[in-house]
Parts: sequence; C-alpha cells; structure tokens
Amino acid sequence: MNSVYIYQDTFISLLNLIDYLIRHHIKPFQIKNTRYQVTLLDTVIHLKIEEDENILSKVIHFVGIRALQNMYYVFISDVDNLELILYYFYLNGLKYRENILKYRNLKCVDKVLKISSFVSHECHKYKGFIRFKELKNHLLYAEIEPVSDCLRILSHHFQKRLKNEYWLIKDVKRNILSLYDKKKYILVDANTFSLDTIKESEEEKQMAQLWKTFYDTIGIKERKNERCRRNFMPKKYWKYMLEVESEL
Amino acid sequence: MDLKEKLKILADSAKYDASCSSSGSTRKSNRGMGATAFSGICHSFASDGRCISLLKILMTNICIFDCKYCLNRRSNNIKRALFTPEEVCEITLNFYRRNYIEGLFLSSGIIKSPDYTMELLIKTVTLLRKKYHFGGYIHCKAIPGASEKLLKELGLLVDRLSANIELPTENGLKLLAPNKESKKVNQIMQYVKTNRNKKFVPAGQSTQMIIGATKESDLEIMNKSAFMYQNYQLKRVFYSAYIGVNHDSFLPTLEQPPLKRENRLYQADWLLRYYHFKVSDLLNEKKPNFNILVDPKCDYALHHLEEFPKEINTCSYYDLLKIPGIGITSAKRILSSRKVFTITFDDLKKMGVVLKRAKYFITCNHQYLLNPTMYQKKFIEANLVLEEQTPLKKEYEQLRLFNE
Repeated sequence: MNSVYIYQDTFISLLNLIDYLIRHHIKPFQIKNTRYQVTLLDTVIHLKIEEDENILSKVIHFVGIRALQNMYYVFISDVDNLELILYYFYLNGLKYRENILKYRNLKCVDKVLKISSFVSHECHKYKGFIRFKELKNHLLYAEIEPVSDCLRILSHHFQKRLKNEYWLIKDVKRNILSLYDKKKYILVDANTFSLDTIKESEEEKQMAQLWKTFYDTIGIKERKNERCRRNFMPKKYWKYMLEVESEL
Repeated sequence: MDLKEKLKILADSAKYDASCSSSGSTRKSNRGMGATAFSGICHSFASDGRCISLLKILMTNICIFDCKYCLNRRSNNIKRALFTPEEVCEITLNFYRRNYIEGLFLSSGIIKSPDYTMELLIKTVTLLRKKYHFGGYIHCKAIPGASEKLLKELGLLVDRLSANIELPTENGLKLLAPNKESKKVNQIMQYVKTNRNKKFVPAGQSTQMIIGATKESDLEIMNKSAFMYQNYQLKRVFYSAYIGVNHDSFLPTLEQPPLKRENRLYQADWLLRYYHFKVSDLLNEKKPNFNILVDPKCDYALHHLEEFPKEINTCSYYDLLKIPGIGITSAKRILSSRKVFTITFDDLKKMGVVLKRAKYFITCNHQYLLNPTMYQKKFIEANLVLEEQTPLKKEYEQLRLFNE
C-alpha cells in the first residue's frame, strides 16, 4: 500500500506533518501538497493536524537555525520529492542534532545542502538581475521566471531597499504577484489584478536607453570574453533584462 | 550635449578602472531609498565578462595631468564632457530604482586643481546623501593632492574611498605619470587607514596597478601589494592588464593585453590574503615571474613535493589550504566533517573539492588515489598543465557532437 500523506502547501504545515509522522513512527511512501495528482495505487491520507507555528522553535531547538534555513530553501525549490528529502533529513537531525549539517556523507544531508545552495544562489542572482519598469503614476513593475519559488525572499529584499516606492513583482511561471504599498508586501494570485491598462511612464524609455548606452560602453572590447559573461550571467536570466534581451 | 552623449563619454573614460565591488558595508537609509548588502550584489555582466554592480562614471574627463598611459591625458584630442552634480544624481537614482545598479562609483579627471575637483565630488555625493537620502553604495576616488579637510568630508559620505597607485615603482611612475607622486597617494591611504571607522569609509579602501606598461617583475608587484596590505590595511589591490590607448615611445606595443599574467597575479593575491601564503613562498630573485602554464598554488606544490601528499583526515587547516583544488570553503567543510566521520575520496567530491587537481597531493585514510610510483614532479606537472587547457578542448568536442 502506497500511503501518500498530504499537507496544506505551507512550510509550517509540512513541518508539522513530518513531526507528527516521526513521533508516531510512521514511514511515509510519499508526502505531497494538495495539488498532487492521485494515481490508482495511492492511498491518500489527510491528517487533521493543527498548523502550529511553534514547530519552528522546536526544529531550531533540535537541529539549529542554519539547518532550518537550509530546509526552507529546499521547500521553495522545484525538486520533485523535496518533502521526503526533508523527512529523512529531519529524522537524521533528531539523531545527530545540530551536528547534522556536518554529515555530508549521508545522502539526505548532501541533497539538502546541494539543493539549498542552488536555491540561495538563484535568489541572490535575481536580487541583481531583476529589472523594474516605471509605469504611469510611479509604479515599479518587474517580471521574473525563477526555477525556485524566490518571490518571498525577493520581496523581503526589496521591501528594505525600495521602501518608499510602490512596486509589484510578478512570478510569470507560478502566476503570483507580490504587491508592496510602502508598508508591507502581500502575495496574491496574478489573475486578481490586471496591469494591462497601465502604460509605461514617459521617462521610462529614456532611462532604458541611458542604461543600454552605459551597458554597451562599459565593456572593454580588447577584453571581450563571452564565456566568462555567460558563466556569471546564464541565458535563462536574459529574457527580462533590457540590456541583453536583444542579443537572445 | 545631451545626457546620453555625456554618459557615453564619461563611462567610456571610466571603464579602465577595474574595481566594481559593492561589498563590506551595511548601510541603510531611514528616510530615502536604498540599502547595501554586506556580500555585495552584481547587477549585470558586460561583454568582457566583468561584473557591473556600480554606475561607474567620471565626473569629468577634463584633466590637467598628462599621464602617458591614460586616455584622458591633457595632450589627447578627444571629446570632453562634464556632469553637473544634479545630472549624476538623476541618473544614479533612476538607475537604482529600476534595480540596474547597486550604487555609484564616481571618479574624475583633475579639473582646475585637486581641491576644486574634490569639492565637485563632495557636492555631488552630499546631494545624493543629504537631499535625496540615498542609502545605496557609493565608491569615490580620492584625488591625490587634495587637502585633508576635504578627504575627511568625503570619507564621511561614502562607503569606499580609494586612490590608485597605478604603477608599482617610483621609477615607473616618473616615466609614465610625471605629474603623479606616489607620496600623495600614500598620504591618502595612510589617512584613510588611521581614521577608518563605522562612519568613515566603512567598506575600506582599495587601489589599482597597471600590469605590463612598465618592466616591473611579478615579484616587485607582489611585494608592493603585500606591503600595502600590511601597512594600509587595504581591502583589495586590483590588477589591470595594460591596454594601449595612446601611442608613445615610452609605452610598450602589445598586441594583446597580458590577461593571463593578470589572472596569475589575482590568484597569487588571493593566496596572500586568505591562504596564509607569503610572497617568498611563491616567487624569489631567481624566479621573479609566475609560471604562465600552471596556477601559483599548483606551482608551489610542485616545487615542494616533499611536503605532500597531505592526509585529509589529520592535517591542519593551514596545510589543507596549501593543497591545490581545496579552497577556503571546502577546507572548512573538511574540518567540520572529519570530526564526525572519516572522509573518503567520494566524500571530497561532495564537499566541492576539485579532485582532478587535488588527487596528486592528498591521501584519504592513508590511501593514495593513483599509483604511488607516479608521485613524480614531471608526471604531475604534465597533467596539471593539460588540465588548465581542458576547457578549450571541451568546447571543441561539444561542437563536434552537434555536427554529427
């Protein structure tokens, strides 16, 4: 019997479920979110578990804050069976406590560290590569298409950086929009909010032109190095970067 | 002249400065826009593969000096431009809002006098910080010969303040930059070092040397760097391969900028700052230049084979750092992991060790990965030289794959 345990799509809910399974000595075949497509062989199990935020301090108590951070990065990755990886990571974490991250010879630890470094790398790249356009009435708008679900981390970053601006970031792939109103940001379904009617500001074109001029000027042609450029700035980011999109 | 043309001229004149780092500061603005990230953030990469994190421009390319190697020297007949402080603010703020940049890198040719130029820079940065409450990163060049009072004023507004030494020896400077004195640059570095704190130049200072314009050896260059790191607590020394923009009998004619040499100098610079190497470990009077075929760390290992192979599970942190293919990060990983289990070659791969270089110089659990009779300088050297060239080979093979 393939027992598939379902959680309510949030990190807290997943941690609560994993904690419950371990406490009751249940070894799951799969753990999945509510979007999971059930197959004939599956036995789907919905447990009624409270979404208790205290689980965070519990996890920190056992495995430490750095391990929790790594677990969160795995959670926002697009890895297929990330839930099971986290289950085995936490199971081992209860045994090795805050030393868990040192056990790189364990498969689950190796995976968690690799995935989390991929995700944090991608988030960091987007902090630099994301481009805002100014729309009429001073609204800033950007689109992204990240592999991992970086939107929350990016919103947090720009909340500090562009705190006296109104801005929106759209994750095109997941169709989620982050809205910031100079106080806090919220994530909403992109369909509930239409931007089609808002045009670019008059200044926008001029600034984009200036930036392209700067970009084309600053490279030294005697040092041209395409491989190096692509290494640091892979093509997957280019689609929304005005200075290179024409080269695609 | 419109803003676009000015930007083109003044970015073009600024592009030869190598520095673009935006790290080391944790500033944030309480009222306006902007913050800095301690790790620094790259916002784009130019066609030459160098990162763009700051809006790198000159205030003006008008200059009263006549340095032989410089595009902006007085005797060159080129288009000159001058930004107004408001124009610099407008571009910086607009670029920053759109997340094109992490901040501003403002340098300048010397217009009228060092003090006058410095006042112009101060006026611009003051506007950004006080009027627009800009909290992003600002790196400014200090103008040699400007008064200490102005240096103090500028240092309180910026994250990084730097002055370029340009050439490693006094002789080189006399030959190519007769208006520049290294004494004045040293004065700036000394002043910044003595007065640096959380409010004054929080991200520290850096400098730059041109490589290949004069005849200095790598040994002279590295000794100069080591001296400056020690005496002025510099964050970075940047090396910039000489590119001929002027024709002059004092200047060499190079077909290609010496990029490989620049690369070796950077590698050695890292070894000095993070890997506890000394200049004398890498170079000496008999061998005053780096080996172009293998990197300095491999070269060191090849010349000290008696120190190797080192045992991963027992050798000290400093010994780990001496092994080619092991960096700071992987050395720390090894250190923490080997407390809880015995490390094998497979585990090293997982930790990010570059085994194709490291394998010649290590044992895991007293096992050598290769045949022990192969532990000979000639064999290892040949393989490492080959290793350096593999990226080229790979590209070629991939091309062939597509053709088939």
